[in-house]
Amino acid sequence: MRHKFWLLLAVLTTIALVFAACAPAAPAAAPEAASQPAAGGDGKIELRIAWWGSQNRHDRTIAVIEQFEQLHPNIDIVYEFAGWGDYWTLMSTQAAGGNLADIMQQDYARLEEWVSRGLLAPLDDFVADGTLNFANVSESSLAGGRLGGKLYGVNLGTNSMTIVIDADKLAEAGLETPNPDWTFDEFERVATELHEKLGIYGFTGNLTNEQLWKNIYLSLGQWVYNEDGTGLGYEDDQPFIDYLKMVKRLQDAGVTQSREQEIAAGGSVETDLIVTGQSAMTYVWSNQIVALTSAAGEGRNFILLPMPRPAGGASANYLKPSMFFSITSQARHPKEAAMFIDFFTNNVDANKVLMAERGVPVSSEVRAALEPLLDAPQKMMFDYIASIESSVSPIPPPDAPGHADLINNVYWPLVIDPFMFGQQSAEDAVRILREEANIVLAAAAR
Amino acid sequence: MSEALSVSSSSQHANDQRRQSVKPHKKRWRHDNWMGYLFISPWLIAFFAFTFIPIIASLVLAFTNYDVLSPTWRWVGLENFERMFTRDPRYIKSLQATFFYAFTAIPLRLIFALAVAMLLNTNRRMVAGYRAAYYAPSIVGGSVAVAVMWREIFGRNGLINAVFGTDVAWLGNPNTAIWTLILLAVWQFGSPMLIFLAGLKQIPREFYEAASIDGANGWQQFWRITLPLLTPIIFFNLVMQLISGFMVFTQAFVITGGAPLDTTLFYALYIYQRAFVSLQMGYASAMAWVLLIIIAVLTVLVFRSSSYWVFYSSQED
Repeated sequence: MRHKFWLLLAVLTTIALVFAACAPAAPAAAPEAASQPAAGGDGKIELRIAWWGSQNRHDRTIAVIEQFEQLHPNIDIVYEFAGWGDYWTLMSTQAAGGNLADIMQQDYARLEEWVSRGLLAPLDDFVADGTLNFANVSESSLAGGRLGGKLYGVNLGTNSMTIVIDADKLAEAGLETPNPDWTFDEFERVATELHEKLGIYGFTGNLTNEQLWKNIYLSLGQWVYNEDGTGLGYEDDQPFIDYLKMVKRLQDAGVTQSREQEIAAGGSVETDLIVTGQSAMTYVWSNQIVALTSAAGEGRNFILLPMPRPAGGASANYLKPSMFFSITSQARHPKEAAMFIDFFTNNVDANKVLMAERGVPVSSEVRAALEPLLDAPQKMMFDYIASIESSVSPIPPPDAPGHADLINNVYWPLVIDPFMFGQQSAEDAVRILREEANIVLAAAAR
Repeated sequence: MSEALSVSSSSQHANDQRRQSVKPHKKRWRHDNWMGYLFISPWLIAFFAFTFIPIIASLVLAFTNYDVLSPTWRWVGLENFERMFTRDPRYIKSLQATFFYAFTAIPLRLIFALAVAMLLNTNRRMVAGYRAAYYAPSIVGGSVAVAVMWREIFGRNGLINAVFGTDVAWLGNPNTAIWTLILLAVWQFGSPMLIFLAGLKQIPREFYEAASIDGANGWQQFWRITLPLLTPIIFFNLVMQLISGFMVFTQAFVITGGAPLDTTLFYALYIYQRAFVSLQMGYASAMAWVLLIIIAVLTVLVFRSSSYWVFYSSQED
């Protein structure tokens, strides 16, 4: 029996040694390290940054990181990036392992969830000591990053949803440009006429997307979630029922793509049928206009309009922080992280590289410096944001902690798809949404 | 194992030693054993770190509400299991999709694999080349690249619509989407085909010669000779395919993402979505353990049934 004991000991020792060798990589004892410039043997500080995005964004962001490293030779930046879906899987796993990057890109829909779990650090101290300089940034641009009076994310650009209309198709059909305060009734009429007169889709772009659901209630002065995120925030289901019925009418008349085709096509701005002239209208986030128009090619004319609203409603648009940079609570070098975010926000040279790819910059100085450099689609984006700035609805609170669960496991599979495939009525769809939302949201807020 | 190794590697010299005395040999054996474990310790470490400990962890998690981001979690007893069967319509849909897939794709794949194996079990020229060519899809079939290719083939402007002049949303239609995945599975018939081929080569020629002298035609030979003698191979293939069929993931993840109407929401894909998209690790772990039970029960059923239909020629002797 004794040899078995020694055997076990040997194996356990080997395992222990291997894990010990791995240990320095896992920053379990990170907090003390924050104040010391430890990390690299040559006294360099290692700063980690993570973001999601397209190849275009990766290239621009990496170039700015290199600029920053040249200005601060003692800081070495390690970066990771991914597409939207993989990014959140990666970040959640890192958070669970206590191994989050110093700076992470955050989204308005996730901010509350991450703050409520104590994973993000407040930035107010860095604003107070001037590391983060917001002299040229208006309070309304920063408001989206504030939760409970504390700043948890710095807005990297301003965005809003917009209807894109192919101006040439509109003229071909002999239609006037709709008013910026158009309603869903007018929208339905224009889309239907475009389809009937030109024989192409009147509208592509996913009308059942949850953003549209949110827009309806925003326009009616309400919000889809209640204040503590435990249930729906509106009582009257009728506006959403009316809307769903309109979407179904458009689908059944062939004005829009069927849900079947939508699912089969998958969603990406570049593959929207408006690009190839098979559709006359679509909607995008305003920063995606650049990608859309470059995919459409030269010689195309597009008009940008605000989102349509239910009859009698206010603007269905709001100015959304396209994304944030946040400093995580697991960050080893929060001070240097704040310096980088400040550089990203205020440095004119850095923003000449970024070229508003993340939306219209929040710093007025940066905006003024970029103005003469903009090409036509970028100018369209800047002008669109400027044109709606005074009339938009106030920014709604961040999404409830159970938002992602609700959308993935209730909204699409139980509410929208069975309705669009004709398996349930709009009334039933909306009733199920309400019932399930109250369960899912309450469970997540617990 | 180590004993076998030490015996087979032992030289004449060692045998002499054994004859002389038992004690030194015992010592040597112990030493070898020790070293053996040391040599496989990389495997042991990986096994404990990446298999054994995660298995135990998932068993524990199945009874909690662990959600990755929260620092704390709560013991919830059987709540996760109860929720699956009583309050999660998507779970029931994922079960339906998985069972439908397993009970359609696996028989079709086996039939196809057997048919091709019989075609290749001849002495024509180039047969080795064909074998390699038909096996190739199985090597690449599970990969993401093939799944992406499949999505393009069945896409709106894809090969199928172009060839047949149709405009069908194959991947968006609840009636067709799962069949594209079944077709992909059938196309990956290579590994059961190779095993069938090996089995076919084991069947003695004399049986067929005797049968044809007695006037049996090809069809009769197939039903009376080939199939009965092949049942152990069919049994093996069935068990292996059953297990992998219930764990299918990549194809649905890449090609359909579970859509439309959750008709392709395979079990493993739903586990992934709950675990890594909704971050409900506890719930996902509970689902994984139920899957283990489902596969175990089905495998036991197949094993039990084997005494009725699997024919081992050695039993006849």
